[in-house]
Amino acid sequence: MKQTSVVIIGGGATGIGILRDLSMRGVDAVLLERGGLAHGTSSRFHGLLHSGARYAVGDPESARECIEENFIMRRIGKQCVEETEGFFAALPEDDPAFAARWVAACREAGIAAEAVDPEEARRLEPRLSPRVREVYRVPDSCVDGFRLVWHNALSARRYGGEALTYHEVSAIRTEQGRVVGVEARNRMTGETVNIACDYVVNAAGSWSGVVARMAGLDVCVSPDKGTLIVFNHRFTSRVVNRLHKSSDGDIFVPHGSVTIFGTTSTPTDDPADSAPTSEDVVRLLDIGEPLFPDLRSYRILRAFAGTRPLYTPSNASGRAASRNFHIVDHMDEGLRGMASIFGGKLTTYRLMAERMSDLVCRRLGVTTPCRTAEEPIIPDPSPETLERAARSFPAHGVKLVADRLGDAFAEVVGNTAGEADNGMLCECEMVTAAEIEYVARDPDTHSLHDVRLRTRLGMGTCQGTFCTLRAAAALAERHVDFALSPGRDVQNFLQERWRGLRPALWDTQLKESELSRAVYLATLNLDGACREQNN
Amino acid sequence: MSIHHPTPDACIACTACVVNCPVARATPNYLGPRLVGPAYERFRLLGLGEEASLHYCSNCKNCDISCPHGVQVSAINMTARAEYCLAHKPALRDWVLGHGELLARLLRPLPAGLKNFGMLNPLTRRALDRIGISARAPMPAFAPERFRDRLAKTYQGMQPRKVALFPGCFIDIYDPGTGFDLVWALNRAGYEVIIPKEFSCCGLPMIANGFRKDAEKNAKRNLRALQRMRAEGIPVISSCPSCVLMHNQDVPEFFPELVRDGRPQVLDAQAFLLDCVERGELSLTPENEVAERIIYHAPCHLRAQGGGLPGYELLRLLPGLRVDNADAGCCGISGSYGFKKEKYDVAMTVGAPLFDKVRRSGADLSCSECGTCRIQLVHGANRPSLHPVSLLRRVLEKRA
Repeated sequence: MKQTSVVIIGGGATGIGILRDLSMRGVDAVLLERGGLAHGTSSRFHGLLHSGARYAVGDPESARECIEENFIMRRIGKQCVEETEGFFAALPEDDPAFAARWVAACREAGIAAEAVDPEEARRLEPRLSPRVREVYRVPDSCVDGFRLVWHNALSARRYGGEALTYHEVSAIRTEQGRVVGVEARNRMTGETVNIACDYVVNAAGSWSGVVARMAGLDVCVSPDKGTLIVFNHRFTSRVVNRLHKSSDGDIFVPHGSVTIFGTTSTPTDDPADSAPTSEDVVRLLDIGEPLFPDLRSYRILRAFAGTRPLYTPSNASGRAASRNFHIVDHMDEGLRGMASIFGGKLTTYRLMAERMSDLVCRRLGVTTPCRTAEEPIIPDPSPETLERAARSFPAHGVKLVADRLGDAFAEVVGNTAGEADNGMLCECEMVTAAEIEYVARDPDTHSLHDVRLRTRLGMGTCQGTFCTLRAAAALAERHVDFALSPGRDVQNFLQERWRGLRPALWDTQLKESELSRAVYLATLNLDGACREQNN
Repeated sequence: MSIHHPTPDACIACTACVVNCPVARATPNYLGPRLVGPAYERFRLLGLGEEASLHYCSNCKNCDISCPHGVQVSAINMTARAEYCLAHKPALRDWVLGHGELLARLLRPLPAGLKNFGMLNPLTRRALDRIGISARAPMPAFAPERFRDRLAKTYQGMQPRKVALFPGCFIDIYDPGTGFDLVWALNRAGYEVIIPKEFSCCGLPMIANGFRKDAEKNAKRNLRALQRMRAEGIPVISSCPSCVLMHNQDVPEFFPELVRDGRPQVLDAQAFLLDCVERGELSLTPENEVAERIIYHAPCHLRAQGGGLPGYELLRLLPGLRVDNADAGCCGISGSYGFKKEKYDVAMTVGAPLFDKVRRSGADLSCSECGTCRIQLVHGANRPSLHPVSLLRRVLEKRA
């Protein structure tokens, strides 16, 4: 039996943030995640690092937390943050009275909202509608959720924290009103793992209701589904919000090489409900067109959906539910050694982790203070490493790779030193063979899908048409084996891509998919359609 | 971003352009049109630094020709180069190669012999080599007098019709003979050839070398004349495929605001002559017995227009000539590309299959519409090379 002080359930931003925080304070902790890291809500959002302006009117407390955390994140997580700034733009049909209230609320919350002449705004963002009537500049930014979670995990590892992925919690053991351990099943091997511990943190986000029930508790968390669209290129270089009462489809976020636009808000019973629909896509386009009149001419890569873990003790739902986070110490319900954290948003993940870790430390009698607001998640690569990297990576790709890999960058650069050819396997997102091999060899990587989450392999223009095959072949050549066969792995990978392609399958992306089908189903006969030929 | 960028959205990464890119095949320094063009464009929009291999794109446009989805790959590359050159001042060498016409104007007071001695002697070539113009590259010689100046003094006879000629820098500065061959043919078809005074370099060498603003200035000047000609109902032609391409495709692509009131077209001179034949204005009855074998090379910038090969067709109508289409891709020179020291070898490698084909063809002459293609053909295949209109004149003109 494994032994630790704290078991954290949930490998999203909150859970991994808690793991890092506790590890930095010298508390033994193990994190259990049923899928890969960040497979849930932490990777299924805009990528918006909120300034808080969006919440200024309806949720001033969230707004204040956002603006503080926003500036902390720029400092500690610069590899994950792109400091773009944001616009709030009102159209003639938007209520001018709301804009006035919003400006006042931003001032109140300490969020700089500076009026920009609409003409100047259009010079800066030429695709913006000429009809914009009022524009404000706010300190919105962009954040890569996948990367943020991974960098936190790497940092936690450095401090001795352990994250077990593909481990699904099956039971929470209690003795005499006190938590004594957690049982989990390794979904890769089918083995059962028992971990004895003093404390359990439920940070399972949309799944936290399910986890709480294992301890016989009932909590009020309602998953709320949001759908987003990914466009092939950045048609805006700033976050653009519609200046009106928060609603569906009013945020555009430039995210790396793409633009993400969303979202919808629909209550759902299933925390894993991440199937986007064409109806949602079309509806979003209708809503977004007034702000970006050429929206329909921009190529859509795919759509995706995730569930927000809304905390709804008062039966509020959807946009009416608070975006604030809540910590519940289950001692109040008679169970010692367990707390749950609900709600919140990625922007405030660090603060959430700090508050939760404070509670855990109080319960465990640890007095070491939190340092996550000061210490950068990932140290900067040395100039020598960067210089060496420039020799084996395409010049422009160095920054991308360094930011993506974080801690591991120096090692990957070292690995490429002896290689004659560090081939670019994914041209759409600039991912080289060395990076893919390194990530694939990580014990937490079980498939190309896991490689994708850390490298962006297959997330660009071709959506896997070329890079899936190349990556699978390169890994086979380098003798990196997964439990899955390469064929099965490629099939799963493409199937997952297909899930997001299907709801927006028209125009150029339809051609792309046909090319992909020709490569994998016709030329490679990946689906094994042998009977068709026999007939 | 201060410059309008063509969208990378239509690219489905099919790599047709990569397979057809002569430069990517010739050097590993160029990562290929798909990667440098639409793929990397998505990262340019993110503000990432420029991809070093961008400078190896020769702007030959074989990517555009081969793209099944109409991605303007070369325009993406040239826009990126322009953007790069706004932030990083291009080298003197690139200015020189981008501004041949201006240079010629500055040197105009000097007699051609002196100019050519000054430019082509080994000492100057060594100095030019220092700034990056390869001493091995073939350099054209200045003509004694500019084509347009000589034409202004030439009596063309009383002609019933008028046509405006955009001469292009090559004919104007280095090769007036070809210009006069064209004028001879047009006169014979009943056209008086005029050259509006505004006509200046089409701007393509400026675009290729990163001088977007200068190209825009020239485009404005040229458009003034083109619009005037259109108003007067005078057709405008050019015998240089690159100039035609620049006027008809690149100017509207790069400077859409300049052509908001319509896009005046410049016609391919060879296509115009074919039309003259069809209308019965130009007779192709030979005056001379010729029996020559010709191998024709279609310039990339002609193929990029998708209007067929009118120069080749014209040659095939001429009695006595046996004309084969080399159909061996790019010659490598791509305007000023092959003159650059670090690109000379790339250009020669690109052109090698064509040179080989020309040498093995058994032809006495090669023939192509593009001036720099002809220079490269002479250099690489060691055979004389002529413009189709020169051959036309050779066959049709009564020799004294």
